[in-house]
Parts: sequence; C-alpha cells; structure tokens
Amino acid sequence: MKILVAIKQVPERDAQIRVAADGKWIDEDDLSYTINEPDAYALEEALQLKEKNGGEVVVVCAGPERVTSTLREALAKGADRAIHIEADDLGERDTLGIAQMLADAMKGEAADLILTGLQSDDLGLGQTGVVLAELLGIPHATIIMQVEKTDSGLRVKRELEDGWFQHVEMPLPALLTIQSGGNKLRYATLMGIKKAKTKETATVTASAAGAKAVSLEKVYLPEKQKKTEMLTGTPAEIATQLVEKLKFEVRVL
Amino acid sequence: MGLVLAAGLMATVLAEPAGFSGWEMGLLGACVLASGGLFFWRLGPILRNVFRSKKDTDFSLHPLGKRVWDFFWEVLCQAKVIKQRPLPGVAHAFVFWGFLAFALVSLNHFMTGVRLGFLAPDGYVGRFYFIFAAVWALLVAVSIAGLFVRRFFVRPIWLGTKVSYESGFIAFLIFTLMVTYLAAFAVSDGGTAVKALWWTHTLALLIFLPLIPHTKHLHLVLSPLTVFLKRDGFSKIPPLSGDEDFGLVSGKDITQLISLQAYSCVECGRCTEHCPASTTGKVLNPKEIILGMRSYLNELGPASEVAMLAEARPETTFGTTMSMQAAFECTTCGSCEYQCPVGIQHLPIIIGLRRGATNTGAWEDTYGTKLFLALEKNGNALGLSAMERDKFVTKAGLPIFDGTQEYCLWLGCMGGYDPKGREIIADFARVMDYLGTTFGVLKKEKCTGDPARRLGNDLVFQTMAEFGLKQLETAKVQKIVAICPHCVRTISNDWREYGIAPEIEHHSEFMARHKDRLPKQVSAAGESIVYHDPCYLGRYRDVYEEPREIVSLAGTLVEAPRSHEKSFCCGAGGGLAFLGEESGERVSHVRAAELVGTGAQVVGTACPFCNTMFRDALSEMDVKPQLLDIAQLTARALPDRENNPVSPTIL
Repeated sequence: MKILVAIKQVPERDAQIRVAADGKWIDEDDLSYTINEPDAYALEEALQLKEKNGGEVVVVCAGPERVTSTLREALAKGADRAIHIEADDLGERDTLGIAQMLADAMKGEAADLILTGLQSDDLGLGQTGVVLAELLGIPHATIIMQVEKTDSGLRVKRELEDGWFQHVEMPLPALLTIQSGGNKLRYATLMGIKKAKTKETATVTASAAGAKAVSLEKVYLPEKQKKTEMLTGTPAEIATQLVEKLKFEVRVL
Repeated sequence: MGLVLAAGLMATVLAEPAGFSGWEMGLLGACVLASGGLFFWRLGPILRNVFRSKKDTDFSLHPLGKRVWDFFWEVLCQAKVIKQRPLPGVAHAFVFWGFLAFALVSLNHFMTGVRLGFLAPDGYVGRFYFIFAAVWALLVAVSIAGLFVRRFFVRPIWLGTKVSYESGFIAFLIFTLMVTYLAAFAVSDGGTAVKALWWTHTLALLIFLPLIPHTKHLHLVLSPLTVFLKRDGFSKIPPLSGDEDFGLVSGKDITQLISLQAYSCVECGRCTEHCPASTTGKVLNPKEIILGMRSYLNELGPASEVAMLAEARPETTFGTTMSMQAAFECTTCGSCEYQCPVGIQHLPIIIGLRRGATNTGAWEDTYGTKLFLALEKNGNALGLSAMERDKFVTKAGLPIFDGTQEYCLWLGCMGGYDPKGREIIADFARVMDYLGTTFGVLKKEKCTGDPARRLGNDLVFQTMAEFGLKQLETAKVQKIVAICPHCVRTISNDWREYGIAPEIEHHSEFMARHKDRLPKQVSAAGESIVYHDPCYLGRYRDVYEEPREIVSLAGTLVEAPRSHEKSFCCGAGGGLAFLGEESGERVSHVRAAELVGTGAQVVGTACPFCNTMFRDALSEMDVKPQLLDIAQLTARALPDRENNPVSPTIL
C-alpha cells in the first residue's frame, strides 16, 4: 500500500507570536517550528499501516526551506521518501490554492491512500484535506480515529459529537483526515535520524496558479477583554442578579 | 614470651624431601605440562573473546597516576574488599596477601622437585622467609576455613541460592596447600612423610590451576588488570563511535573493557546487595546483568548480531537475566559500580543496553515515549509549556542573566516548573541575595537532557546539550550554580561530549563555602534533621560534607542507617521519576521509612527529585516529619525579606 501523508509545519505551540513590523504577517525571526499535531498523528497512522500491511510512506510538505527540517523528522520516524513543494507565499494562497499545490505534487504518485491531519494548529480551517480529495477525484472521510485495511478497501472509525462514533467502509484510493490522539506517537531515534540522511527528498516548485488569491490586509493578535463586576447583597439577591445577567446579558441560559 | 616464641619459631626448620629420581622428575614434568596445558586451553577462548571484542575508541591510560594508586589501594591493599564487608573482607585480604607471600615459596617448591631449590631451609634468608610464609599460611588456613563456613553454612543471600561445589572444592585445595606446608615443619628432612607432603602440596596446586578459568576464581588472573584498566570517572558513558554504533545492541557492540569486566566478576553480590531495584523486588539484578553479558560472550561470541535484550529466551542462559524490563528498572544510583571490588563498571553497561534499545526504537514504553516527546517539543521533562517558566521567573522576580552578574542560576526542570522545586529556587535566591552574590537566570533554558541520557536517548540528549551549551555561551556565563545534582552532573560531565560548559557547582557547595556568613538558626535550635545523600551528589560527585555543614547550621544532624557512599536511592534517578508504576515495593517508600525511622523531626534533602519522591512517600505515612531542602533550611534563619538588612558585602 502506498500512502502519502500531507504535513504542515506550524509555529511551536508555546511560541510567543508577534506581529511583524509591516502588520501583514507574523514576525518569523526567533520562532521555532514543528510538525502540525494532527499531521503527526496522520504520519503515525501511515507508519502503523505500513508496518501491518507493507508498502511505502511518502511525506509531502509545502513551504520555504525551513520545512525540510520537519520532513527530515518524518523520515527519521520511518517515512520512506519526502517531497518538498518549495513555496514561500503560503499566506497569500487560500485553501484551494494550497490543495491545488498538493494535488499537483501527488498526481504522479498514484497513491492508494492519502492521509492528513484534520486541521492545522495555526489557521485551523480544516479544509485542505477535503478540497484535496475533491481535486484528486477520490472519496474522503474526516475526523478519523482508527483505520483498518480490509480486503475490499478500508474500515474507518469517525468521531462524531457527544461521544458517538461512526464506522465507515470505503474503497481505495481514498483520503482521510486524521484526528489527534487516536494512536500513540513514537519518539525520534538516533538510528532513524541516521537512516533519514540516506533517504530521498524530491524538491518541486509550486505552480503560479493560485498564487495571490488572498491579499492580506492586516494581521493582529486577538484583543483580550476582561470585565469583572462584583455582585453584592444577600446570597439570595446575588443569585437572582446572577441568573438575570446570565439570561439577558451573557445569554447562556 | 614473644622472644621465646620467636626463638622457637627460628628453631623450627622446614623439612625438604630429598632424592628425586629421574622418573619422579618426569612425572612432575608431565603433571606440570598437563595442568598448565589445561589452564591455557580453558583460558584461551576467554582471552580470545576479550581481544576480539570491539576496541574502546575513547580509552586512554591517562591519568596513569590514579590508575597506579587505584591498583595499589584496591588490589594490593584490598581497601574496597575490606571497607564494604569488614570481616569476610579481612579474611579475603589474608588469603590474597598469603598468596603473594607464597609466590616465592611455591616457585622454590617446584624447583626443589628438579633439584634446583634456591631457598635453603637452614640458611639465613630461607629460614626467615619460610617462617614468614608460615605465619601467612596459618592466616590463610584460618581465613579460608572461615570463608568456607560463611559460604556453605551462613549462606548470605547475596552469594546466590545455588551452592557452588567448585568453590568448596577450591577452598579445600587452598586449605590443603596451607596444611601440607605447615606440616612440613613438623616432619624430618628426607623421609617418606615429607615426600608425601611435598607431592600432596604439588598436586593440590596443579589441580587448582586448571579450575581457575571457568570458575569465579578467574578473578585471580583478570581482576588486577580490570581494576587498573577501568574507565576513568564514575558512570562514564563513552561516546558512540561512528554511524553504526547505537549502544549495546548485540555482541558486536561489546567492547574489550566490557568483555574483560564481564569475565572478572567474582559473583560476590555486593552490587545486588546495595541495588535499590533488586532489594525492592524488581527483576533487575546487576550481578546477573554482568553474568548475562559473560554468558552471551560464551554462547554467542563478540561478533554475534543476536540482540542482547531479549524477553525470556529459554534457549540462551542470558535471555532470562538480561531483559528489557531489567535494564529499564535501574535508577542509575551507582551503588553497584561504587561497591564492585573487581573494577566492573555497571552503569556504562546498563546505560549501554538502554542506548541500544532506545536509539534503535526497540524500547516501547508509554511513559518513556511521553517523556521523550515532551523533551523534543517542550524542552522540559515535565511536559509543560516553556511559557510557564517565563511566568515563574517574572513572578518570583528572578533577574535575567545579562553578563554583569557573577553567577548564572540554573533552574532545571524542577526549579523552573515544579511547585516545590520553585520554592527551593526562591529560597536559594534569598540566600544568595543575603550573601550579596549577584546572579541571574537564563532567558531560555531547556532540560540538561539527564533523563534522556540515562534512558539511552542520545538524540534528545545531544539536542538538549547543544542547546544548553549555546545558551550559556551566548549569555557569556562564567559560573553556574544549580539546586539539582542531576543538572550539575550532566552539565559538568556528560555535556563534555559536545563542548565544555562553564564551571558549575551544587548549591550545597556554594552555601558551605559561605557558611561563616550564614545565620545559625536560633529558634529551631536542637531540631533533629536527618540528611539524605542524593546519589548524584554523593557517589557521583563525592560531595558528602558540604550539605551536612549546612544542615548542622540549621539543627542537629542525624545520620540514616545507610548514609554517605552507602546511601540508598530515592527511586527517581535514571529517568525513572518519569516512568510508570514500579513492580514490587516502591524504592521511595523504603527509603522514606528508613529516614522516618531515625526519629528526626525534619528530613533534609539536597535534590529536588529526592524531595518530590519523599513528599509522595511521606504522604502515606503516619509519622510525617517536615521535608525541606538545604536551601530552605538555610532560608528559614534569614531575617524577613522586608527587613532584610543590606548585604554585608555591599556595606
């Protein structure tokens, strides 16, 4: 089974994000990057499927030169090959444009299965996987917790709301967007890093199509609002006031 | 009385047999050849295994002076043997010294058989030497009999449950050697009796010789060499060599030193006796790890590619003694390595096995993986966001190191993220303020990589070490002080593989140096404080007295039954603080009960990991002494922060 995994490089979770001087993007200087967490689970799922069923795992990532470190890490964890789509204008492409880049790079690979995280930690749009499936003309399923290979294709477990799950049988080739936490991630090993050095990373150039689809006006940090109001009176009065406020001001009751 | 005895002794003369015929000499020659041949025939494969093992690329004879001293002290003086087990130790020393004294006697004995004896029993030198040897013979005979009784009747559990009949037979041979020698003083020259004694003595020696290579008595031949050649430095983890080296994966990774050490084991069980894992019912038994290594070499050889850490492989003997579970139960407290009288260095071997498993991904452990991912992602072992450290630094008002201060205060994971560790840091910062010592903390600091190092993850360890070295270099740090002995050890010692860090010391050393300027507790005078020696401060760094000086300022120092170099681990070391539930008894509970048993009102610690382990253990006990770090003990006596007088140095 040939599995492609689309991964994204995002700023570290606890990074202190600052807006760049021109106000159009974040200040990337002092920032450290890592693999998008749901993508790490997608990679783990791919590696486990390969260990069970054999085949090849290829990781694909779009971005500037710095994303090669994330690709190398994926190779160290056990991916067989990597494809780097060179692009430093991701901020100016919309989901369709990004999915288009990925689709272009993946078309020639004839993969049986494409995995990606269900959404990214930075933008959190949750669209890329779905649009990519559409562009490639293959079926997809989202928010996947478990993947099992069957004779005819796949049996997957989707996470629904309120603790419900849905089990879906689907044919191959297909695309799945993977939820975090379904598997246990593995740690990178010295042996993996050394082996990664001998693995191939193909570099492709991003097509101009889809570029400048977005024009960024302004990037800003969410404004924090904190309002404290002290309620006074007897406990009964306070309770009445509180219920009123929750009903009519905050409107949560 | 003494004079009479001496005169009496001088009057006795060793009887010598006479008239060795040609066929007798021929028989002797044949026996010597057979015995020697058998000895080398059995020793050969062992030496071959040692020589065919991988070269130790980092080995150097430097420092020669220390090697000579260790040889003198540990081999010739038998210091370690005696110190850790006084009675059997002295008995062993007598046997050893007796053997040395007997070397000349034995040589002369054989020479007599070919009419070439060079010590004349009635000559001045001969008479003196034979009597000198007789005194030793007496001591050896008594000692070996005592050791025989210990092994076969007292039977301490550390010697193993299996009775070694070979040991008993060898003890009998040694006893025979001594008795036949002493008896020769009581018979007359040239008779049949002396001839019979001579032959019995000869045969006992010649039977003993070929028994050496395949019994624990091989240590007679190897251990002096092992002690002389052991790696310089306690728990010294050698760097990996080349792209194919991931630690001890299979036979081809066993180095010559490990090989030599494995064959030198005398199976005395000191390592097991002091091991916090073995004594609390874990699978790990350090002696069995060493013997497992020896079995592996005997069964598969040093070129084998069969994995060493195998779960229950009945077809090999090592399969049961060396397992993944056993290797990862070690707290790296270092008692085994410290105790070993024949120079075996257990830690590089156990950590080597872990490296082989972790660096190749063979070790799969939920908690271990979680720890490595936390170190990879968050840069601290507790898995918290690095922002949490920044928040604490701001809240505690700790200055950022900017090059103008004298010390860089290294927080460590516990000091930066753990609530109790933070209290210790805050109190130590107060002490430094009081002393007028300027300090600052690094803007960004990650774990030193200690747990990754001890769990065998060289990739994470290297990342952490390189990050730390760069931070310290960029900030132009000259001197570091830390509250955690693990940080101190890792920065000062293990980081050397990637660069030299600035000078670092533990806060106990810092405070002890300034103890004359620290206030003595008045209100708590007389409060009894039991001090627990952290493994990484005591055995690893040889710092025993400094923290005690600080404790003595704060109250009355009480010693635990096991203290100083015999201190018993808290159970946290070797990355185990971050792994899952232990099997058997909890190490921390055993130690906490021992500390509580002293009746002290306060448990004094000098390591945030020990502190956290005891906090947990004490919470389940009926008697709850206070638990305080030495920095907290000192800070208690400081005047309130508000009326903290201007520091004496500034005045």
